[in-house]
Amino acid sequence: MATILIEGQNLTIEVEGLDKLWALKSRLTIPLAHVRGATADPGIVDEPKGWRGPGAHIPGVIVAGTFHQDGKKVFWDVHDKTKAVVIELKDETYQRLVVEVADPRATVEVIERAVSER
Amino acid sequence: MGRPRGFREEVVLESAAEAFVHGGYEATSVDDLVQRLGLHRGSLYQAFGSKRGLFLAALRHHIRTKLTAGPGSLRPGGSTAFQVGAVADSSRLDLLLVAALERGHSDAEVAVAVRGALTDLEQAIDSDLPVPRSTDTSARPVRALGLLADRLYERLI
Repeated sequence: MATILIEGQNLTIEVEGLDKLWALKSRLTIPLAHVRGATADPGIVDEPKGWRGPGAHIPGVIVAGTFHQDGKKVFWDVHDKTKAVVIELKDETYQRLVVEVADPRATVEVIERAVSER
Repeated sequence: MGRPRGFREEVVLESAAEAFVHGGYEATSVDDLVQRLGLHRGSLYQAFGSKRGLFLAALRHHIRTKLTAGPGSLRPGGSTAFQVGAVADSSRLDLLLVAALERGHSDAEVAVAVRGALTDLEQAIDSDLPVPRSTDTSARPVRALGLLADRLYERLI
């Protein structure tokens, strides 16, 4: 599970609990200018994720860490696929973040609004 | 983005518009879109940023090509638009209905696009009337809204 906040001109993603161990990162800070959008997308968890490294992937239990797909890095932290949110980035190490949040719909609205208003 | 995307954007935008009209904004999942558009998920996100980004692009494209310009659309100054109901094929208004109802109250960019389309339609209808009506652009586009209401009624089974 992750907590997402808009702080000034930045989006911060705080990875909570034991996931810090698997994901190997506890906090990401991304300038809003590098955030292209957010989408609630449970279905992404069922797609091929590319090769892992580093992080943990126990199918059906947890996807956490960095995955490499089509030459791009994707950050994952998802247990419950129904709460997966995809955050698309540009000019960042990660092309995309796929994180589990408590309220996907509210999170998506907050991010999309922040991005469209900046 | 100068890179070729490997798909025809207008085809994708038109399919997306159909998908959103068919299923509504909220209920259309990324799974639905990926399947219907024949795109990889990664390409969809890379091209449009999010589902909302795709919706907005599809809405703007639709307004530009199907409502306010292009064959069969309402062209300001056209002679018969008002008589034939202003939009050749009234189902072209469906995406405006979805946008207004589902996103118009919460998404400022969608609201601007819908309002702009209605204003353009209103002007086109006005230009067909023998005596041009008010030029006050802040007034409600009542005749364009009438078209939307007509379309709502027409859709009732």
